[in-house]
Amino acid sequence: MYKFLFTTFLATAFFWTIQQSSGPGQLLSGEAVADVLLQLGDEPVSHYPDTTLKGVSVEAGQGIMLTGFAPSPGGGKTNKQSKHYVCTACHNIEKEDPDLSVSDPQARLEYARDNDLPFLQGTALYGAVNRTSFYNGDYEQKYGSLVEPARDDLREAIQLCATECSQGRALEPWEMESVLAYLWTIGLKMDDLILSDKEKDQINQALEGKGDAAAAIQLIKSRYLSGSPATFVAPPEDRKAGYKVDTTDVENGRLVYELSCLHCHENERYSFFRLDDSKLTFQHLAKHFPRYTEYSVYQVGRYGTSPVPGSKPYMPNYTLEKLSHQQMEDLRAYIEYRAGYER
Amino acid sequence: MLMVAWTVPAMAQDAVTQTFKDSRLVNIQSVETLAKRRLDVRIGHRFGDLLGDNGGWSTFYGLEQAADVMIGAEYGATDKLTVGFFRTKGAGSLPDGQAGLRQVLNGTVKYALLQQGTDGGSPVSLTFWGVAALSTAERIPDNPDIIRNFSTFAHRMAYHGQLMIASRLSDRIALQLTPGYTHRNVVPVEDENGLFSLGVGTRLQISRVFGVIADVTLPFSDYRTTENGFYPALGLGLEIDSGGHLFQLNFTNATGIMETDFIPYTTSNWLDGEFRFGFTISRLFNL
Repeated sequence: MYKFLFTTFLATAFFWTIQQSSGPGQLLSGEAVADVLLQLGDEPVSHYPDTTLKGVSVEAGQGIMLTGFAPSPGGGKTNKQSKHYVCTACHNIEKEDPDLSVSDPQARLEYARDNDLPFLQGTALYGAVNRTSFYNGDYEQKYGSLVEPARDDLREAIQLCATECSQGRALEPWEMESVLAYLWTIGLKMDDLILSDKEKDQINQALEGKGDAAAAIQLIKSRYLSGSPATFVAPPEDRKAGYKVDTTDVENGRLVYELSCLHCHENERYSFFRLDDSKLTFQHLAKHFPRYTEYSVYQVGRYGTSPVPGSKPYMPNYTLEKLSHQQMEDLRAYIEYRAGYER
Repeated sequence: MLMVAWTVPAMAQDAVTQTFKDSRLVNIQSVETLAKRRLDVRIGHRFGDLLGDNGGWSTFYGLEQAADVMIGAEYGATDKLTVGFFRTKGAGSLPDGQAGLRQVLNGTVKYALLQQGTDGGSPVSLTFWGVAALSTAERIPDNPDIIRNFSTFAHRMAYHGQLMIASRLSDRIALQLTPGYTHRNVVPVEDENGLFSLGVGTRLQISRVFGVIADVTLPFSDYRTTENGFYPALGLGLEIDSGGHLFQLNFTNATGIMETDFIPYTTSNWLDGEFRFGFTISRLFNL
């Protein structure tokens, strides 16, 4: 009996091992999307880091992005890149969309909840090196001609973010290349893409020189966005009535408040305007929600605030792809609920 | 709705982070320290007596006089350690008219020792604050005011240290006790160099923007009695928080702004109309 069970176990383990090693998932697992595309003959992107510059390192890039500082090539520490923000104030450095081929704020919010991530205005820096288009859509309305050089150049996009979005200093060449070096460590992996076994087979065949490489490249690129869409929208015309939605979800609003609003405003992390869990705060937000003031969530959520002389910190707006009208109304419902308001 | 009600306690913070909105109440310091790399530029002003012999219409209720003026800044060296430097005009005096230190440079240090917790943590926050005051007033030989005679450099100096024990009792109410010790290097014969005191302060938050603050400081001294012309420094104020700016409008019988000034030298009496309007403007910057 024991011999039979042992033989059955060995046979099962053998076939399981065979299946794992020969399956399409195993071949592609963990591989960088950019590497696979290059192997398939895709044209290399222009934003590979120049590591010949003195001081360039992944660690320096990570330091600049996460803390604002890096070890200076001449010794000591650099000046803080921005007095007000770090990259992670507005951008995740982890995957934030369950399906990278669409920009769905509700799917992203639920993914953020499940993966303990903040829900932010900026597009994730995870996979930034795989994109070829930046400051898309309506960002021209905000930055004017400044977006033109940044639209198809990641270095220019990072520099625009450094000087305008974060209201900081421009990056030195070695800092820029270090940031790129770090970004390449958080590029998309094949595991991140939603591919069927058949599609993985198609890619594997192409990698082995037996299939259509151009079709495989196209297939891979169809599974993530090459640029993050951005649609600027106005607050509702009738702010008392709000956006027209069928119903509101208070729990969903709580997620937006905690994963988005509190990310910057809790304990004045990135803003001098403190938000917390007190009824006074919710009453203040609820009172101002339908008004035309800088404390109106409609107002600052959709238009953001602007840096002014003497007060450079500001709040970036939420595009429709980053906060839907439904989510805005859910947030309002949650705030009014916590304030004890009835509408 | 039910789900939200269940989940709300889970988002509670581990530590109470804003017992008071500002680093000062009216006269006394609060337990609050600045976040790391944050600069707080502060301007404080105390006008002349609102009423009484020196107030009223003739001085436009004290607004034409400046009892004390403070200008300076504090900086968050770490989240727990705040250092500051202020210049004050100096305003206090003894009942016989002998003036305290004038044209004073004040170096301050504040360190958060303990933070109040929300669920089972410490019931109070505990912070130390100290100031070293140096008068830069010109030395006048044979000045009959012994405090300002400055026969030695050390006579220009006074110090104060205090422990602040505070608790945010609810979203609206916070309370603070402040035992302190003040040392002046030179005092008249009948006075004491060392002086223990106890301050009590509170904040009542009316709305997100407006809060009422009040404090009183009682020196423990046989010499500092109302019969001898001394009074506890009592302040009442309104705090206006506009997010980034904090305005404070207050009334107090203390003339001096710094602890080395108002604790030993408050000789004005509220009941005689010897209280004044004052304000503080605070502006935060990231560095």
